[in-house]
Amino acid sequence: MRLISKEMFKKPNNRLEGELEPSKHVHAAVQESVAYTCPECKTALEKETLPELDYMCPRCGALFIMAARERLEWLVDEGTFHELDAALEPLDRLQFPEYAAKLKKAQRDSGEPEGVLTGTATIDGEPCALFIMNSTFIMGSMGAVVGEKITRLFEYATANGLSVIGYTVSGGARIQEGMFSLMQMAKTSGAVLRHGEAGLFYGVVLTHPTTGGVVASFAMEGDVILAEPKALIGFAGPRVIEQTMRQKLPEGFQRAEFLLDKGFIDRIVPRKDQKRELAQLLAMHRRDSTR
Amino acid sequence: MFSKILIANRGEIAIRVIRACKEMGVATVAVFSEADKDALHVSLADESYCIGPGPAPKSYLNMPAIIMVAKSCGVQAIHPGYGLLSENSTFAKLCEDNGICFIGAPCEVMEKMGDKDAARRTMRDAGVPVIPGCDLVPTIEDAKREAESIGYPLLIKARAGGGGRGIRRVNKEEELAPAFQSAAAEAQSAFGDGALYMEKLLTHVKHIEMQLLCDKFGNVLCLGERDCSMQRKNQKILEESPAVCVTPELRAKLTEATIRAAKTVNYLGAGTIEYLLTDDRQFYFMEMNTRLQVEHPVTEMVTGIDLVKWQIRIASDQMLDIMQEDVNIDRHAIECRINAEDPAHGFRPSCGQISLLHVPGGPWVRFDTALYQGYTIPPFYDSMIAKLIVSARTRAEAIRKMQAALCEMVVEGVEHNAQTHIDLLNEPAFLDGTYTTDYLANRNA
Repeated sequence: MRLISKEMFKKPNNRLEGELEPSKHVHAAVQESVAYTCPECKTALEKETLPELDYMCPRCGALFIMAARERLEWLVDEGTFHELDAALEPLDRLQFPEYAAKLKKAQRDSGEPEGVLTGTATIDGEPCALFIMNSTFIMGSMGAVVGEKITRLFEYATANGLSVIGYTVSGGARIQEGMFSLMQMAKTSGAVLRHGEAGLFYGVVLTHPTTGGVVASFAMEGDVILAEPKALIGFAGPRVIEQTMRQKLPEGFQRAEFLLDKGFIDRIVPRKDQKRELAQLLAMHRRDSTR
Repeated sequence: MFSKILIANRGEIAIRVIRACKEMGVATVAVFSEADKDALHVSLADESYCIGPGPAPKSYLNMPAIIMVAKSCGVQAIHPGYGLLSENSTFAKLCEDNGICFIGAPCEVMEKMGDKDAARRTMRDAGVPVIPGCDLVPTIEDAKREAESIGYPLLIKARAGGGGRGIRRVNKEEELAPAFQSAAAEAQSAFGDGALYMEKLLTHVKHIEMQLLCDKFGNVLCLGERDCSMQRKNQKILEESPAVCVTPELRAKLTEATIRAAKTVNYLGAGTIEYLLTDDRQFYFMEMNTRLQVEHPVTEMVTGIDLVKWQIRIASDQMLDIMQEDVNIDRHAIECRINAEDPAHGFRPSCGQISLLHVPGGPWVRFDTALYQGYTIPPFYDSMIAKLIVSARTRAEAIRKMQAALCEMVVEGVEHNAQTHIDLLNEPAFLDGTYTTDYLANRNA
């Protein structure tokens, strides 16, 4: 039992010294720009140090959400990234209610035109074609532009004899684009197939959460499928399955560790090892012509 | 310098005196009642002796017992604290007869000032303004005649009075006779002296008192004023120094009158002259307290002068090393009296065991108390259990500091009046310093 508690002390009725109105904006701005609070254990961290920490809480081990551009800078060798199809922008072809506004907000908030970054870069000196999905853009959902950019990346890699490294994070196909987004599953799968038929390597890292149409297409088509610890990976969400099957799901269902156990993925790689392991994979699959 | 002193008191003031002695290298002897065997002063003193049962008349007012302890321990002086025997000239005389120094005013001064009627006349003769009134009135008839010339409303006061006892307010002639009789009876039972005098009742007045320190070499030091106008039923509950209402010119006048009064009576040691201050900045002598006051820390906090240590030094024939010109008050101090009483039930005394105690801290925060965790407050004595004193460069800052300190203070196990003080500090009449002695009575009416 605590002898002394907060409730014992009254709050003095003293107005803020020297000011008529308490100032608020200053503190908020400071917090926004330099501080980051671990969503799990609430440890306060300096934003600057996050890349060195591999975006992982040094106290509780929680993995922080990384925007696509943050992950890119953290992963590839500095100055080696050349972006492809940066100008491709989504269209609201179905005039889906509120979609235009949602897109605008996503673009403003993320600072990106769409939910995936594609391009070429080197990882620890190993060249590759690269795509990184962006969870901060409508939860990484796959619309026509996401599918098109990934397809084009695989086509570019096939033409140039490059391996592909992909980071997935997605809520699935983008419902606001209806059939157009479902078609991306077939389109991207075709491009992945042709890239593989050309004898080229495709390694994918599944991050939390990777679900829906993305899992049902290119996310699960890698030659080597890696995952981040505890990532949720599945087609339909656990609640939907539970309600449909009318039975309780086992513990850890759809988590990376569960999927590894069942043979769906090849390996779970902590963030701090990802760069090294991806570089190793790239080196192992390097073509003589690129030497 | 005395090498051993007996402290004829209890509670926080006994602790205060023992601490001063420890600083000065003086050995201490505590006396205690059977009810106080677990009291802090008993443990803190070098030697401690039981002098009788719980009720004060049988222990702390038991003069022969105290003198006996003093003699057998070989003390050179007795510090009486405040209250109890501090203004008892019989006890002072008894000390003197036994070759023990009584740390207080000389017997004659105590007698003269203890007789409120004589004090009034002495001050009037010394040119200190006194409240319009009359000398002793032996009978109701005398009182009626004098009342005509003074005018109603007036106050009947006991010559031997103190602590608000033996005082009656008389609004009109019909009330005079019953008030006279009950005041005489109360004074007789409380002080053994039923003699009464009368004064014009001044309403809407401030209680302003001036602190004195006088040595045996004729040096008289006036250490500024205290505003003690925050009172409930004639009991001070909050004091501050300096007073907001006292201008530098008024302070100079008060200081001059106070020094004149002290010199007139050949005062010695620490003492206080109490004045009533009216709206139009007229001040009138009320009474002189020939002892240390409860609220003395307020003055200590603004002047940096340790009054208790100076009481002891003066009693042992040392000369003041501070001149009146050196007294430069540039701080503000506030004291809140923490009483074990229940504000929800008419401030009735609350007794019990202290289950939890957290003392507020920080710079210029002082907490004078004899409490400790686990201590049981006995039912025999005064309900004041602690004094919280703060000081700061300005009054506004001192108020903030007191707010914070009161909110930090935790005393569990008994009811107390901290919240009452917190509320009081927020009231406009306190914030602008205009509160008068009748403020709380009128507010609650």
